Amino acid sequence: MTDIDRRRFLNTAVLGGATVVGATALGSVAPEAAFADVQPDLDPSAPDPDFAEGRITGINGSMLLVTGSDKSLHRIYVTSGTSIWKLRPTGADAAQVGDGLYARGVLLDDGTLAADAVWLNIVNLTVLITSIGKDVIHFDHHGDRVVGHVVLGTTAAVYNSTPPVSDLTQLKVGYHAQVIGAWRPDTNEVDLATVYSAA
Amino acid sequence: MVGWFGALQPVLVGAVLAWAGALKLFGHRAPALARLARRSALARLVGNERAVPAYRAVGSVELGIGAVLVLPPMLVAEAVLATVLCLGLLGYLAYARTVAPESPCGCIGDKPARVRWRGFARAAALTMASGLAILGSSWWGAALASRPLAALAVLAVEASAVVALSAELDSYWLLPLRRQRVRWRHPLAGSGGFEVPVASSVHQLMRSPAYGVTGGWLRSDLLDSWDEGEWRILSYSASCGGRPATAVFAVPRLRYQPADVKAVLVDEADRTVLWQFAPEPAVVGVSPSTTITAKMGL
Repeated sequence: MTDIDRRRFLNTAVLGGATVVGATALGSVAPEAAFADVQPDLDPSAPDPDFAEGRITGINGSMLLVTGSDKSLHRIYVTSGTSIWKLRPTGADAAQVGDGLYARGVLLDDGTLAADAVWLNIVNLTVLITSIGKDVIHFDHHGDRVVGHVVLGTTAAVYNSTPPVSDLTQLKVGYHAQVIGAWRPDTNEVDLATVYSAA
Repeated sequence: MVGWFGALQPVLVGAVLAWAGALKLFGHRAPALARLARRSALARLVGNERAVPAYRAVGSVELGIGAVLVLPPMLVAEAVLATVLCLGLLGYLAYARTVAPESPCGCIGDKPARVRWRGFARAAALTMASGLAILGSSWWGAALASRPLAALAVLAVEASAVVALSAELDSYWLLPLRRQRVRWRHPLAGSGGFEVPVASSVHQLMRSPAYGVTGGWLRSDLLDSWDEGEWRILSYSASCGGRPATAVFAVPRLRYQPADVKAVLVDEADRTVLWQFAPEPAVVGVSPSTTITAKMGL
């Protein structure tokens, strides 16, 4: 199924015109049943087996080889159903050696993590806005300087917890902000996804 | 000329040293001072438990040397002492830079300022000024009286340089200047466009009744999104009863009405719709406010 084909099919499905096969095929669709799928029988002293973090040290087809910050090694299997975030939702080919990574999924018997979601280079910073320039915002992150790059069409701002907007003109020098962005590996620069601030 | 110039320097060096020393001694309550001293690179040099006494000692020395520099009479020994102190400060900065680059230097005031080129430049400038002071020909008061305008101009320029090189003072002059510039003309005006960001549609989705029902089935973060007329389509990987599926949401693109969000669960392999979200019909009739009004007998 090509991408356009697929989108057309999903459009029809969600916007009407498609027939529902019937909920019986799924069993109960009550939310309680959905949450009953999740089995939170984790050992509180052990690390979550379904989560991995680290830097990508190698890419082998759809397998990401990752070295964790505790030097543990992870093999992360990416499928067409895996969401990949790198500043924005993107495809598996966006992953590069050197990228920082968080992945959530299901640990398979052979030790690979079949990923449901992968976030590349994502950072979450509480900062002070020290300067605003053209397409760039400078931050003070607990004494460290961080350069935030505004990405046209992607960077959004959230003022006072209202829905995100692309208008960044309410950001003010000297205000505190929370920043979700994509780190540029081994620099103090981030591409900005969302900036949360007071207006 | 050099003698006159050098004679002015003690007042600058003395004022900066006295100011730094006074802030270290009297600028904070005891707990804040202890916290500051332990965070600074000084704690690495002398050990954590001796950080507070060492911090106070440095402050006393700075205040003492600053005071004798400013007060008459002017002795060459004072200027030599100040030069040695400034050289020591340079050495301390180099030590902090190599051993504890993450720690604030704790030089002036309580604002955390990492050791960077401005700190070095300020220390170097003070060292030069105190070196010049050794060549001074008289007390600074006499030099000031002999050519008051020129002396005030020199001191003003030097003081501005010290302020400009003090990262601790940025919040008093640099940030307000930048804030004013942004107020006049925001550099990011026009860079956003009028497109509704995808994050906004996701925000609306998460507040919708459809998401309240389907949220538990979602396995992935946002997979894909595209626009279809007045709708923005968002797709997620889902799993329902152990069966993999795709959750597809249609979110109003240009209006904020979470109640209108549509949702389906789709099996992409055999192209069937497994489940469709049916919104709860709005309750018609008695609204809570009417009930309350009735109960209160109004």
